Amino acid sequence: MLSCSRLTKRYGDLTAVDGVTFSLEPGTLTAVLGPNGAGKTTTLRMLLGLAEPSAGEALVFGRRYRELEQPIRRIGAVLESTDFHPSRSARDHLLALVLAAELARDRVGEVLEVVELSAAARRPVRTYSLGMRQRLGLATALLGDPELLILDEPANGLDPAGVRWLRTFLQTFAAQGRTVLVSSHLLAEVAQTVDHVLIIDQGRLLARGRLDELTGEGESLEDVYLELTGGEAS
Amino acid sequence: MIGQLRSELLKQRSTRTTLDLFLSMFALVALAVTLHAVSLSVDQLSTRSRQLEVFQVGSRAGMLFAGLAGVIAITSELRYGTIRPTFLVTPRRSPVLVAKLAVSTLVGLTFGLLAEVLMTTDAAVAFGARGIDNKLNAGDYLQLLAGGAVAAALWAAAGVGVGALIRNQVAALVGLCAWMFLVESTLEGFVPGFGRLMPGGAGLALAGNSGELSAVAGALLLALYTAALSAGGWRVTLCRDVE
Repeated sequence: MLSCSRLTKRYGDLTAVDGVTFSLEPGTLTAVLGPNGAGKTTTLRMLLGLAEPSAGEALVFGRRYRELEQPIRRIGAVLESTDFHPSRSARDHLLALVLAAELARDRVGEVLEVVELSAAARRPVRTYSLGMRQRLGLATALLGDPELLILDEPANGLDPAGVRWLRTFLQTFAAQGRTVLVSSHLLAEVAQTVDHVLIIDQGRLLARGRLDELTGEGESLEDVYLELTGGEAS
Repeated sequence: MIGQLRSELLKQRSTRTTLDLFLSMFALVALAVTLHAVSLSVDQLSTRSRQLEVFQVGSRAGMLFAGLAGVIAITSELRYGTIRPTFLVTPRRSPVLVAKLAVSTLVGLTFGLLAEVLMTTDAAVAFGARGIDNKLNAGDYLQLLAGGAVAAALWAAAGVGVGALIRNQVAALVGLCAWMFLVESTLEGFVPGFGRLMPGGAGLALAGNSGELSAVAGALLLALYTAALSAGGWRVTLCRDVE
Protein backbone atom coordinates (compact mmCIF):
# COMPACT_ATOMS: atom_id res chain seq x y z
CA MET A 1 0.00 0.00 0.00
CA LEU A 2 2.99 2.29 0.55
CA SER A 3 6.55 1.62 -0.50
CA CYS A 4 9.85 3.40 -0.91
CA SER A 5 12.55 1.89 -3.05
CA ARG A 6 16.11 3.26 -2.76
CA LEU A 7 14.47 6.62 -2.20
CA THR A 8 17.04 9.42 -2.31
CA LYS A 9 16.93 13.20 -2.05
CA ARG A 10 19.98 15.37 -2.56
CA TYR A 11 20.27 19.13 -2.07
CA GLY A 12 23.59 20.04 -3.68
CA ASP A 13 26.22 18.16 -1.69
CA LEU A 14 23.85 17.28 1.12
CA THR A 15 22.07 13.94 0.92
CA ALA A 16 18.95 14.37 3.04
CA VAL A 17 17.52 10.92 2.27
CA ASP A 18 19.91 8.20 1.21
CA GLY A 19 18.61 5.03 -0.44
CA VAL A 20 15.69 4.39 1.91
CA THR A 21 13.70 1.21 1.20
CA PHE A 22 10.66 0.05 3.15
CA SER A 23 7.00 -0.80 2.74
CA LEU A 24 3.93 -0.78 4.96
CA GLU A 25 1.39 -3.54 5.41
CA PRO A 26 -2.32 -2.72 5.72
CA GLY A 27 -3.63 -2.44 9.25
CA THR A 28 -0.29 -1.50 10.78
CA LEU A 29 0.61 1.53 12.85
CA THR A 30 4.19 2.51 12.05
CA ALA A 31 6.39 5.25 13.46
CA VAL A 32 9.36 6.83 11.68
CA LEU A 33 11.87 7.77 14.35
CA GLY A 34 15.04 9.80 14.06
CA PRO A 35 16.84 12.92 15.29
CA ASN A 36 16.08 16.36 13.90
CA GLY A 37 17.27 16.61 10.32
CA ALA A 38 17.40 12.82 9.92
CA GLY A 39 15.30 12.95 6.73
CA LYS A 40 11.92 11.90 8.15
CA THR A 41 9.92 14.83 6.83
CA THR A 42 11.73 14.83 3.49
CA THR A 43 10.77 11.16 3.07
CA LEU A 44 7.13 11.96 3.81
CA ARG A 45 7.18 14.93 1.41
CA MET A 46 8.42 12.70 -1.40
CA LEU A 47 5.75 10.09 -0.62
CA LEU A 48 3.12 12.84 -0.85
CA GLY A 49 4.25 14.38 -4.14
CA LEU A 50 5.40 17.64 -2.57
CA ALA A 51 9.07 16.97 -3.33
CA GLU A 52 10.59 15.14 -6.28
CA PRO A 53 13.03 12.29 -5.44
CA SER A 54 16.58 12.67 -6.78
CA ALA A 55 16.67 8.89 -7.26
CA GLY A 56 14.56 5.86 -6.40
CA GLU A 57 10.81 5.98 -6.05
CA ALA A 58 8.06 6.48 -3.52
CA LEU A 59 4.72 4.82 -4.24
CA VAL A 60 1.34 4.89 -2.54
CA PHE A 61 -1.21 2.31 -3.62
CA GLY A 62 1.24 1.31 -6.34
CA ARG A 63 1.50 4.73 -7.97
CA ARG A 64 3.24 8.03 -7.50
CA TYR A 65 1.08 10.32 -5.39
CA ARG A 66 0.84 12.89 -8.19
CA GLU A 67 -0.64 10.26 -10.51
CA LEU A 68 -3.46 9.26 -8.16
CA GLU A 69 -7.03 10.29 -8.97
CA GLN A 70 -8.56 12.11 -5.97
CA PRO A 71 -5.77 11.05 -3.61
CA ILE A 72 -7.45 12.39 -0.47
CA ARG A 73 -10.16 9.74 -0.77
CA ARG A 74 -7.44 7.20 0.01
CA ILE A 75 -4.66 9.07 1.79
CA GLY A 76 -4.98 11.66 4.53
CA ALA A 77 -1.85 13.56 5.47
CA VAL A 78 -0.63 16.39 7.67
CA LEU A 79 2.91 17.69 7.40
CA GLU A 80 2.75 20.86 9.50
CA SER A 81 0.30 21.57 12.27
CA THR A 82 0.41 25.28 11.46
CA ASP A 83 -0.82 25.19 7.85
CA PHE A 84 -3.79 27.50 8.27
CA HIS A 85 -4.57 31.07 7.32
CA PRO A 86 -4.84 32.78 10.73
CA SER A 87 -7.94 34.79 9.92
CA ARG A 88 -9.86 31.99 8.20
CA SER A 89 -12.24 29.87 10.27
CA ALA A 90 -11.75 26.13 10.67
CA ARG A 91 -15.00 25.57 8.82
CA ASP A 92 -13.94 27.65 5.80
CA HIS A 93 -10.49 26.05 5.79
CA LEU A 94 -12.04 22.60 5.54
CA LEU A 95 -14.75 23.71 3.13
CA ALA A 96 -12.19 25.13 0.68
CA LEU A 97 -10.53 21.72 0.55
CA VAL A 98 -13.85 19.86 0.29
CA LEU A 99 -14.85 22.03 -2.69
CA ALA A 100 -11.51 21.49 -4.44
CA ALA A 101 -11.71 17.73 -3.85
CA GLU A 102 -15.40 17.62 -4.82
CA LEU A 103 -16.37 15.79 -1.64
CA ALA A 104 -19.76 16.08 0.08
CA ARG A 105 -20.06 19.30 2.12
CA ASP A 106 -21.34 17.24 5.06
CA ARG A 107 -17.81 15.97 5.57
CA VAL A 108 -16.82 19.32 7.14
CA GLY A 109 -19.24 18.92 10.05
CA GLU A 110 -18.46 15.23 10.41
CA VAL A 111 -14.68 15.60 10.74
CA LEU A 112 -15.06 18.59 13.08
CA GLU A 113 -17.22 16.33 15.25
CA VAL A 114 -14.57 13.58 15.21
CA VAL A 115 -11.80 15.93 16.39
CA GLU A 116 -14.16 17.67 18.84
CA LEU A 117 -13.89 21.14 17.32
CA SER A 118 -17.55 21.70 16.33
CA ALA A 119 -18.04 24.42 18.93
CA ALA A 120 -15.01 26.40 17.69
CA ALA A 121 -15.65 25.83 13.97
CA ARG A 122 -16.54 29.43 13.12
CA ARG A 123 -13.69 31.04 15.02
CA PRO A 124 -10.58 32.18 13.12
CA VAL A 125 -7.73 29.74 13.55
CA ARG A 126 -5.57 32.47 15.10
CA THR A 127 -7.60 31.99 18.31
CA TYR A 128 -6.76 28.27 18.48
CA SER A 129 -4.28 26.63 20.85
CA LEU A 130 -1.54 24.44 19.38
CA GLY A 131 -3.47 21.37 20.47
CA MET A 132 -6.59 22.59 18.65
CA ARG A 133 -4.53 23.24 15.51
CA GLN A 134 -3.15 19.71 15.68
CA ARG A 135 -6.70 18.37 15.82
CA LEU A 136 -7.81 20.64 12.96
CA GLY A 137 -4.88 19.30 10.93
CA LEU A 138 -6.08 15.79 11.66
CA ALA A 139 -9.59 16.81 10.60
CA THR A 140 -8.10 17.98 7.28
CA ALA A 141 -6.52 14.56 6.80
CA LEU A 142 -9.80 12.77 7.60
CA LEU A 143 -11.94 14.69 5.05
CA GLY A 144 -11.71 12.00 2.37
CA ASP A 145 -12.30 9.12 4.82
CA PRO A 146 -8.88 7.67 3.87
CA GLU A 147 -7.45 4.18 4.23
CA LEU A 148 -3.99 5.53 4.97
CA LEU A 149 -2.98 8.32 7.35
CA ILE A 150 0.44 9.99 7.16
CA LEU A 151 1.14 12.39 10.02
CA ASP A 152 4.31 14.36 10.79
CA GLU A 153 4.77 14.83 14.56
CA PRO A 154 1.06 14.65 15.40
CA ALA A 155 1.55 14.65 19.17
CA ASN A 156 3.53 17.93 19.33
CA GLY A 157 1.77 20.47 21.48
CA LEU A 158 -0.88 18.11 22.80
CA ASP A 159 -1.52 17.97 26.54
CA PRO A 160 -1.65 14.54 28.27
CA ALA A 161 -5.38 14.20 27.63
CA GLY A 162 -4.80 15.14 23.99
CA VAL A 163 -1.99 12.59 23.63
CA ARG A 164 -4.21 9.84 25.04
CA TRP A 165 -7.04 10.92 22.76
CA LEU A 166 -4.72 10.79 19.72
CA ARG A 167 -3.35 7.37 20.73
CA THR A 168 -6.84 5.90 21.07
CA PHE A 169 -7.86 7.49 17.81
CA LEU A 170 -4.92 6.09 15.84
CA GLN A 171 -5.24 2.62 17.37
CA THR A 172 -8.94 2.51 16.56
CA PHE A 173 -8.20 3.69 13.04
CA ALA A 174 -5.61 0.91 12.51
CA ALA A 175 -7.85 -1.69 14.15
CA GLN A 176 -10.35 -1.08 11.31
CA GLY A 177 -7.75 -2.49 8.93
CA ARG A 178 -6.53 0.96 7.95
CA THR A 179 -2.90 2.02 8.04
CA VAL A 180 -1.02 4.78 9.85
CA LEU A 181 2.46 6.20 9.35
CA VAL A 182 3.59 8.82 11.88
CA SER A 183 6.91 10.50 12.46
CA SER A 184 7.84 11.31 16.01
CA HIS A 185 10.48 12.26 18.57
CA LEU A 186 8.43 11.11 21.51
CA LEU A 187 9.81 7.63 22.09
CA ALA A 188 7.84 6.83 25.23
CA GLU A 189 4.62 7.81 23.50
CA VAL A 190 5.54 5.88 20.36
CA ALA A 191 6.31 2.75 22.42
CA GLN A 192 2.77 2.84 23.76
CA THR A 193 1.05 3.52 20.45
CA VAL A 194 2.61 1.85 17.42
CA ASP A 195 3.34 -1.73 16.42
CA HIS A 196 6.09 -1.11 13.84
CA VAL A 197 9.03 1.30 13.78
CA LEU A 198 11.49 2.66 11.21
CA ILE A 199 14.61 4.32 12.60
CA ILE A 200 16.30 6.87 10.33
CA ASP A 201 19.47 8.86 10.92
CA GLN A 202 21.45 11.02 8.49
CA GLY A 203 19.11 10.00 5.71
CA ARG A 204 19.70 6.27 6.12
CA LEU A 205 17.27 3.67 7.33
CA LEU A 206 19.02 1.99 10.28
CA ALA A 207 16.33 -0.38 11.48
CA ARG A 208 12.82 -1.45 10.66
CA GLY A 209 10.49 -4.06 12.01
CA ARG A 210 7.97 -4.95 14.64
CA LEU A 211 8.39 -2.99 17.85
CA ASP A 212 8.27 -6.15 20.00
CA GLU A 213 11.01 -7.78 17.91
CA LEU A 214 13.32 -4.75 17.98
CA THR A 215 12.96 -4.46 21.72
CA GLY A 216 12.99 -8.23 22.24
CA GLU A 217 15.89 -8.69 24.62
CA GLY A 218 14.69 -6.63 27.51
CA GLU A 219 15.81 -3.40 25.86
CA SER A 220 13.56 -0.36 25.77
CA LEU A 221 12.82 1.45 22.52
CA GLU A 222 14.95 4.29 23.86
CA ASP A 223 17.94 1.94 24.33
CA VAL A 224 17.62 0.64 20.77
CA TYR A 225 17.14 4.11 19.35
CA LEU A 226 20.11 5.69 21.12
CA GLU A 227 22.33 2.77 20.29
CA LEU A 228 21.51 3.07 16.58
CA THR A 229 21.61 6.84 16.30
CA GLY A 230 24.87 7.24 18.17
CA GLY A 231 23.40 8.04 21.55
CA GLU A 232 24.02 11.76 21.50
CA ALA A 233 21.17 14.06 22.36
CA SER A 234 20.08 15.97 19.28
CA MET B 1 -12.55 22.44 -12.31
CA ILE B 2 -15.80 23.98 -11.00
CA GLY B 3 -14.82 22.72 -7.55
CA GLN B 4 -11.41 24.38 -7.82
CA LEU B 5 -13.01 27.70 -8.80
CA ARG B 6 -15.47 27.56 -5.92
CA SER B 7 -12.62 26.69 -3.57
CA GLU B 8 -10.62 29.72 -4.75
CA LEU B 9 -13.63 32.02 -4.46
CA LEU B 10 -14.18 30.81 -0.90
CA LYS B 11 -10.51 31.44 -0.06
CA GLN B 12 -10.91 35.02 -1.33
CA ARG B 13 -14.10 35.57 0.65
CA SER B 14 -13.11 33.89 3.89
CA THR B 15 -10.42 36.34 4.98
CA ARG B 16 -10.53 40.11 5.23
CA THR B 17 -7.59 40.57 2.88
CA THR B 18 -9.54 41.39 -0.29
CA LEU B 19 -11.84 43.80 1.53
CA ASP B 20 -8.87 45.53 3.16
CA LEU B 21 -7.25 45.92 -0.26
CA PHE B 22 -10.48 47.43 -1.62
CA LEU B 23 -10.64 49.93 1.21
CA SER B 24 -6.98 50.92 0.81
CA MET B 25 -7.49 51.43 -2.91
CA PHE B 26 -10.55 53.59 -2.30
CA ALA B 27 -8.70 55.76 0.18
CA LEU B 28 -5.70 56.15 -2.12
CA VAL B 29 -7.75 57.00 -5.23
CA ALA B 30 -9.98 59.43 -3.38
CA LEU B 31 -7.01 61.22 -1.88
CA ALA B 32 -4.93 61.33 -5.04
CA VAL B 33 -7.69 62.46 -7.39
CA THR B 34 -8.81 65.12 -4.98
CA LEU B 35 -5.27 66.44 -4.54
CA HIS B 36 -4.70 66.52 -8.30
CA ALA B 37 -8.02 68.08 -9.14
CA VAL B 38 -7.76 70.69 -6.43
CA SER B 39 -4.08 71.62 -6.60
CA LEU B 40 -3.60 71.96 -10.36
CA SER B 41 -4.43 75.35 -11.78
CA VAL B 42 -7.52 75.86 -13.90
CA ASP B 43 -5.32 76.45 -16.95
CA GLN B 44 -3.59 73.15 -16.46
CA LEU B 45 -6.94 71.38 -16.45
CA SER B 46 -8.45 73.11 -19.42
CA THR B 47 -7.74 70.54 -22.13
CA ARG B 48 -9.12 67.06 -22.58
CA SER B 49 -5.67 65.45 -22.68
CA ARG B 50 -4.63 67.09 -19.39
CA GLN B 51 -7.84 65.98 -17.76
CA LEU B 52 -7.26 62.45 -18.95
CA GLU B 53 -3.84 62.56 -17.33
CA VAL B 54 -5.43 63.41 -13.99
CA PHE B 55 -7.58 60.37 -14.51
CA GLN B 56 -4.45 58.20 -14.72
CA VAL B 57 -4.45 57.95 -10.95
CA GLY B 58 -7.49 55.73 -10.89
CA SER B 59 -6.20 53.49 -13.66
CA ARG B 60 -2.85 53.11 -11.94
CA ALA B 61 -4.44 52.37 -8.57
CA GLY B 62 -6.81 49.83 -10.10
CA MET B 63 -3.95 48.02 -11.83
CA LEU B 64 -1.69 48.15 -8.79
CA PHE B 65 -4.23 46.88 -6.27
CA ALA B 66 -5.46 44.21 -8.67
CA GLY B 67 -1.83 43.11 -9.05
CA LEU B 68 -1.42 43.04 -5.28
CA ALA B 69 -4.56 40.90 -4.96
CA GLY B 70 -3.09 38.48 -7.51
CA VAL B 71 0.22 38.32 -5.66
CA ILE B 72 -1.56 37.66 -2.37
CA ALA B 73 -3.73 34.91 -3.87
CA ILE B 74 -0.67 32.72 -4.33
CA THR B 75 1.85 34.04 -1.77
CA SER B 76 -0.51 33.82 1.21
CA GLU B 77 -0.74 30.07 0.57
CA LEU B 78 3.05 29.87 0.56
CA ARG B 79 3.38 32.13 3.59
CA TYR B 80 0.86 30.31 5.78
CA GLY B 81 1.64 26.82 4.46
CA THR B 82 -1.90 26.16 3.17
CA ILE B 83 -0.19 25.33 -0.13
CA ARG B 84 0.58 21.91 1.41
CA PRO B 85 -3.03 20.81 2.00
CA THR B 86 -3.97 22.51 -1.29
CA PHE B 87 -1.46 20.41 -3.24
CA LEU B 88 -2.24 17.25 -1.26
CA VAL B 89 -5.81 17.58 -2.54
CA THR B 90 -4.74 18.57 -6.07
CA PRO B 91 -1.26 17.10 -6.55
CA ARG B 92 -1.14 17.88 -10.27
CA ARG B 93 -1.12 21.56 -9.28
CA SER B 94 -2.18 22.98 -12.67
CA PRO B 95 -5.90 23.16 -11.80
CA VAL B 96 -5.00 25.14 -8.67
CA LEU B 97 -3.10 27.67 -10.73
CA VAL B 98 -5.78 27.93 -13.41
CA ALA B 99 -8.40 28.58 -10.72
CA LYS B 100 -6.20 31.19 -9.06
CA LEU B 101 -5.64 32.96 -12.39
CA ALA B 102 -9.36 32.90 -13.20
CA VAL B 103 -10.56 34.11 -9.80
CA SER B 104 -7.83 36.76 -9.57
CA THR B 105 -8.78 38.03 -13.03
CA LEU B 106 -12.35 38.41 -11.82
CA VAL B 107 -11.23 40.19 -8.65
CA GLY B 108 -8.93 42.43 -10.71
CA LEU B 109 -11.75 43.31 -13.11
CA THR B 110 -13.87 44.40 -10.14
CA PHE B 111 -10.99 46.40 -8.64
CA GLY B 112 -10.35 48.18 -11.93
CA LEU B 113 -13.99 49.00 -12.52
CA LEU B 114 -14.51 50.35 -9.01
CA ALA B 115 -11.30 52.40 -9.13
CA GLU B 116 -12.42 54.07 -12.38
CA VAL B 117 -15.95 54.69 -11.09
CA LEU B 118 -14.59 56.25 -7.93
CA MET B 119 -12.07 58.32 -9.85
CA THR B 120 -14.48 59.66 -12.46
CA THR B 121 -17.05 60.52 -9.82
CA ASP B 122 -14.50 62.17 -7.59
CA ALA B 123 -12.94 64.15 -10.46
CA ALA B 124 -16.32 65.25 -11.79
CA VAL B 125 -17.27 66.58 -8.38
CA ALA B 126 -13.93 68.37 -7.97
CA PHE B 127 -14.11 69.91 -11.46
CA GLY B 128 -17.69 70.98 -10.87
CA ALA B 129 -16.83 72.60 -7.57
CA ARG B 130 -14.05 74.60 -9.20
CA GLY B 131 -16.12 75.54 -12.24
CA ILE B 132 -13.83 73.64 -14.62
CA ASP B 133 -15.43 72.47 -17.81
CA ASN B 134 -15.36 68.67 -18.00
CA LYS B 135 -13.96 67.94 -21.45
CA LEU B 136 -14.38 64.17 -21.40
CA ASN B 137 -16.97 62.66 -23.72
CA ALA B 138 -18.98 59.47 -23.41
CA GLY B 139 -16.41 57.53 -25.41
CA ASP B 140 -13.67 58.60 -23.01
CA TYR B 141 -15.72 57.42 -20.07
CA LEU B 142 -16.50 54.12 -21.73
CA GLN B 143 -12.83 53.51 -22.46
CA LEU B 144 -11.83 54.46 -18.92
CA LEU B 145 -14.30 52.03 -17.38
CA ALA B 146 -13.91 49.11 -19.78
CA GLY B 147 -10.21 49.60 -20.54
CA GLY B 148 -9.33 50.28 -16.91
CA ALA B 149 -11.19 47.16 -15.80
CA VAL B 150 -9.49 44.96 -18.40
CA ALA B 151 -6.06 46.44 -17.60
CA ALA B 152 -6.57 45.71 -13.89
CA ALA B 153 -7.78 42.18 -14.67
CA LEU B 154 -4.59 41.54 -16.66
CA TRP B 155 -2.46 42.98 -13.88
CA ALA B 156 -4.17 40.65 -11.38
CA ALA B 157 -3.31 37.60 -13.47
CA ALA B 158 0.24 38.90 -13.90
CA GLY B 159 0.36 39.32 -10.10
CA VAL B 160 -0.36 35.60 -9.64
CA GLY B 161 2.62 34.88 -11.91
CA VAL B 162 4.87 37.35 -10.08
CA GLY B 163 3.85 35.85 -6.71
CA ALA B 164 4.55 32.33 -7.93
CA LEU B 165 7.96 33.37 -9.23
CA ILE B 166 9.09 35.47 -6.25
CA ARG B 167 7.28 33.41 -3.57
CA ASN B 168 8.18 35.76 -0.72
CA GLN B 169 5.02 37.77 -0.06
CA VAL B 170 6.59 40.98 1.21
CA ALA B 171 9.21 41.05 -1.54
CA ALA B 172 6.57 40.49 -4.24
CA LEU B 173 4.22 43.18 -2.86
CA VAL B 174 6.99 45.75 -2.46
CA GLY B 175 8.37 44.84 -5.88
CA LEU B 176 5.02 45.44 -7.54
CA CYS B 177 4.54 48.84 -5.85
CA ALA B 178 8.09 49.89 -6.75
CA TRP B 179 7.52 48.79 -10.32
CA MET B 180 4.36 50.86 -10.69
CA PHE B 181 5.59 54.05 -9.04
CA LEU B 182 9.36 53.96 -9.51
CA VAL B 183 10.78 51.59 -12.10
CA GLU B 184 8.64 52.53 -15.08
CA SER B 185 9.08 56.28 -14.62
CA THR B 186 12.83 55.84 -14.05
CA LEU B 187 13.11 53.79 -17.24
CA GLU B 188 11.16 56.46 -19.07
CA GLY B 189 13.62 59.02 -17.74
CA PHE B 190 16.61 57.11 -19.10
CA VAL B 191 15.08 55.94 -22.36
CA PRO B 192 12.24 58.24 -23.39
CA GLY B 193 9.39 56.30 -24.94
CA PHE B 194 10.27 53.11 -23.11
CA GLY B 195 7.91 53.61 -20.16
CA ARG B 196 4.81 53.52 -22.33
CA LEU B 197 5.82 50.05 -23.50
CA MET B 198 5.98 48.72 -19.92
CA PRO B 199 3.01 46.94 -18.25
CA GLY B 200 1.84 50.09 -16.44
CA GLY B 201 2.18 52.29 -19.52
CA ALA B 202 0.43 49.73 -21.69
CA GLY B 203 -2.45 49.60 -19.16
CA LEU B 204 -2.80 53.39 -19.25
CA ALA B 205 -3.03 53.26 -23.04
CA LEU B 206 -5.73 50.62 -22.74
CA ALA B 207 -7.74 52.85 -20.40
CA GLY B 208 -7.25 55.84 -22.71
CA ASN B 209 -5.11 57.80 -20.22
CA SER B 210 -2.15 58.15 -22.52
CA GLY B 211 -2.19 59.18 -26.11
CA GLU B 212 1.25 57.74 -26.78
CA LEU B 213 0.08 54.27 -27.66
CA SER B 214 -3.18 53.03 -29.16
CA ALA B 215 -5.56 51.13 -26.90
CA VAL B 216 -5.29 48.00 -29.01
CA ALA B 217 -1.49 48.08 -28.91
CA GLY B 218 -1.63 48.64 -25.14
CA ALA B 219 -4.01 45.72 -24.71
CA LEU B 220 -1.85 43.38 -26.78
CA LEU B 221 1.33 44.43 -25.04
CA LEU B 222 -0.15 44.04 -21.55
CA ALA B 223 -1.67 40.68 -22.48
CA LEU B 224 1.77 39.57 -23.64
CA TYR B 225 3.40 40.55 -20.31
CA THR B 226 0.62 38.81 -18.40
CA ALA B 227 0.94 35.64 -20.47
CA ALA B 228 4.72 35.56 -19.99
CA LEU B 229 4.57 36.15 -16.23
CA SER B 230 1.77 33.68 -15.56
CA ALA B 231 3.42 31.05 -17.77
CA GLY B 232 6.65 31.54 -15.83
CA GLY B 233 4.85 31.27 -12.50
CA TRP B 234 2.98 28.22 -13.69
CA ARG B 235 6.15 26.47 -14.75
CA VAL B 236 8.01 26.97 -11.48
CA THR B 237 4.92 26.01 -9.48
CA LEU B 238 4.70 22.70 -11.32
CA CYS B 239 8.31 21.68 -10.91
CA ARG B 240 9.46 23.24 -7.65
CA ASP B 241 9.42 21.26 -4.40
CA VAL B 242 7.13 22.50 -1.66
CA GLU B 243 9.02 22.97 1.60
